[in-house]
Amino acid sequence: MLRLRFHGRGGQGAKVASRVLGTAAFFEGYYAQDFPLYGAERRGAPIAAFTRISREPILERGVIAEPDIVIVMDETLLDDPMAHPLSGLRESGIVFINTTHNPVEAKTRYKVTAQIITLDITKIGLDMLGKPVLSALAGGVASRIAGLKGDTLKKAVEKEVSEITTEREIILKNMEASLYCFNAIQLMEIKITEAAYKGSPIFTMPFEAAVISSPTINTTTNTTMRKTGNWRVFKPVWDYDICTKCMTCFVRCPDGCIAINEDGFPYTDYDNCKGCMICAEECPVKAIERVREVHAW
Amino acid sequence: MTREMLTGNAAAAWGVRLAEVDYVPAYPITPQTEIIETLAKWISDGVLDAGFVTVDSEHSMITAAGAASATGVRVFTATSSQGLLYGFEMLYSVAGWRVPLVMVNVSRGLSSPITLEPDHNDILAARDSGFLQIHCETCQEVLDSILMAYRLAEDERILLPVLVNMDGFHLSFTREPVEIPEIELVRKFLPAYHSKHAFFKATQPMAQGVAVLGGHAYSYFKYQMHLASIKSLEVYKEVSDEFKEVFGRSYNTIEGYMLDNAEYVLVMTNSFSTLGKEAVKKARVKGIKAGLLRIRLIRPFPDMDIVKALNGKKAVAVLDQNISVGKGGIVYSEIASALYNERENPLLLSFVGGLGGKNINPGEFEFVFDSMIKAVDTGKIPAPQLLYTETEWKEMENLKKIAGKQTTVIKTASV
Repeated sequence: MLRLRFHGRGGQGAKVASRVLGTAAFFEGYYAQDFPLYGAERRGAPIAAFTRISREPILERGVIAEPDIVIVMDETLLDDPMAHPLSGLRESGIVFINTTHNPVEAKTRYKVTAQIITLDITKIGLDMLGKPVLSALAGGVASRIAGLKGDTLKKAVEKEVSEITTEREIILKNMEASLYCFNAIQLMEIKITEAAYKGSPIFTMPFEAAVISSPTINTTTNTTMRKTGNWRVFKPVWDYDICTKCMTCFVRCPDGCIAINEDGFPYTDYDNCKGCMICAEECPVKAIERVREVHAW
Repeated sequence: MTREMLTGNAAAAWGVRLAEVDYVPAYPITPQTEIIETLAKWISDGVLDAGFVTVDSEHSMITAAGAASATGVRVFTATSSQGLLYGFEMLYSVAGWRVPLVMVNVSRGLSSPITLEPDHNDILAARDSGFLQIHCETCQEVLDSILMAYRLAEDERILLPVLVNMDGFHLSFTREPVEIPEIELVRKFLPAYHSKHAFFKATQPMAQGVAVLGGHAYSYFKYQMHLASIKSLEVYKEVSDEFKEVFGRSYNTIEGYMLDNAEYVLVMTNSFSTLGKEAVKKARVKGIKAGLLRIRLIRPFPDMDIVKALNGKKAVAVLDQNISVGKGGIVYSEIASALYNERENPLLLSFVGGLGGKNINPGEFEFVFDSMIKAVDTGKIPAPQLLYTETEWKEMENLKKIAGKQTTVIKTASV
């Protein structure tokens, strides 16, 4: 059995990517199972999705602790203390990272021991679809790494994207972009080993008084420690030569990220700015530029 | 017949579409919402000819569903967890009306603390209501069980509502290949519903769900519900035989996996039974005569089938994904009561695991089989055990630290 795990952020398309792969495998006559895992649905929150592909009926459900292949659709998740995209990945396995960097750089930076493949699928999404929607693209990458065929991938993308939109042009563009990603990936050999993870020993839970065992939190808030801006695709950059200090961007920012400096010019808190670009949209003199984030370390 | 990748929720919606229901009152709740969204879309697109109405709560929803059912039409609705509990009062009322409502519950752990992931305290809370209960392991089974549920509910010997249960996430959001049967075959198996006892006709007024005072009348009506539920065990076998004849798939009240020559039996329900089957396969490779018994029909409880299946086994471990606070695993108690008066009882062990969607690791299943073997060897039955690992406890200790609580020392359980 081949076990794949996708890591992305809410809205990026990890769930649909896992479905594209599941459907492609199903079309090729395999037993397939796919499954997303997320909490409260929120754009930008880390999510994982799983696809299992097998010649035999699948006697597994739920999360994949030891994947053969990991698809990282958002590079910033590699530094996220909650997401752990590489956990459980076997050394014989393969990780794909959506990044502007080459495999050697990424391997060193993220201390990857498994085989690594990189491709900037965000750029491909922007170029070919006009927006950073990665579902069909990551599905294409995963299908290639899993050793599936281009024809079945195209059929799978058509089926899955048709569930979301009826616009033929969008469906065709997704099929094309998916196949482009599929062809951009070099086939690698995967050694599939059976799951060895058993979990740690059973522990007999002791009694603890309600002062400990009730679901209450006694400490003060720590939300400010969490930087929520690291996953944006574009960042706003102000040109103070054009800016008239009209404050429109300051008022329009839905996240309260924009402040005013000593000279009266607006600036944003890049730690928490989500890159929605409403400021640039609203700026009456077009003093705010959209700059693609490339996560240069 | 077509074969497609469907989630449990989509499979449920397909079952409802093929059953050609007339009316769907709806209220959303994760992880069920996809069912009613799918039905709403089909009704709006005109591929399903039914009335759809969104109501203000699950209490109103179950009331509307039961009331519509009492007019003699085929009705469907779905909920989960807190929603089921919010409509709880009406479950008992609707069952007492003796109307054939079919409802899906997508299991999700109960608040508090609040969660979205599954265990079975929600559905098992409804076990005394009069609804029949079918618990599913696969997406295919969800679709098929809805068709069977209408046959059972509408049978004149039963006329009790049915709850079809599936696990949230592990089934509701999990896609796997599902056969969607042809409508002609479904119509053959499940003909249109013509109610003889509860319907709406202006020239023939009737009062339904009447009030009674004086216990003898109440006792009569309540006990008749019980007798109808017990009767459904017999009807179930007819329905499942016919289902097999028409569709080629068969579902008994219980399912045995490598059970015939097994000595050590794991008892489970719902989607994680799949994990139990894998554990049984692995135990067999190690030379342990392991088997699994999955209970599919929870109400009525198939005592006789269970007794027959477990007769002569050395040990049985019930793995409950629920907890009756202050007592323990619910299915364990039910199995114990089914076996108590038998002569050759196996040793009966109780485990609680997978609460709030916690994964059950292969090591936890090994612990269960090892515990059964040790119990047989020593003749001593261990105390009920929560399946919880040292790593999970350490993670909990870390969370407690972050929340500003004291922490405790680690002690590992051994078999």
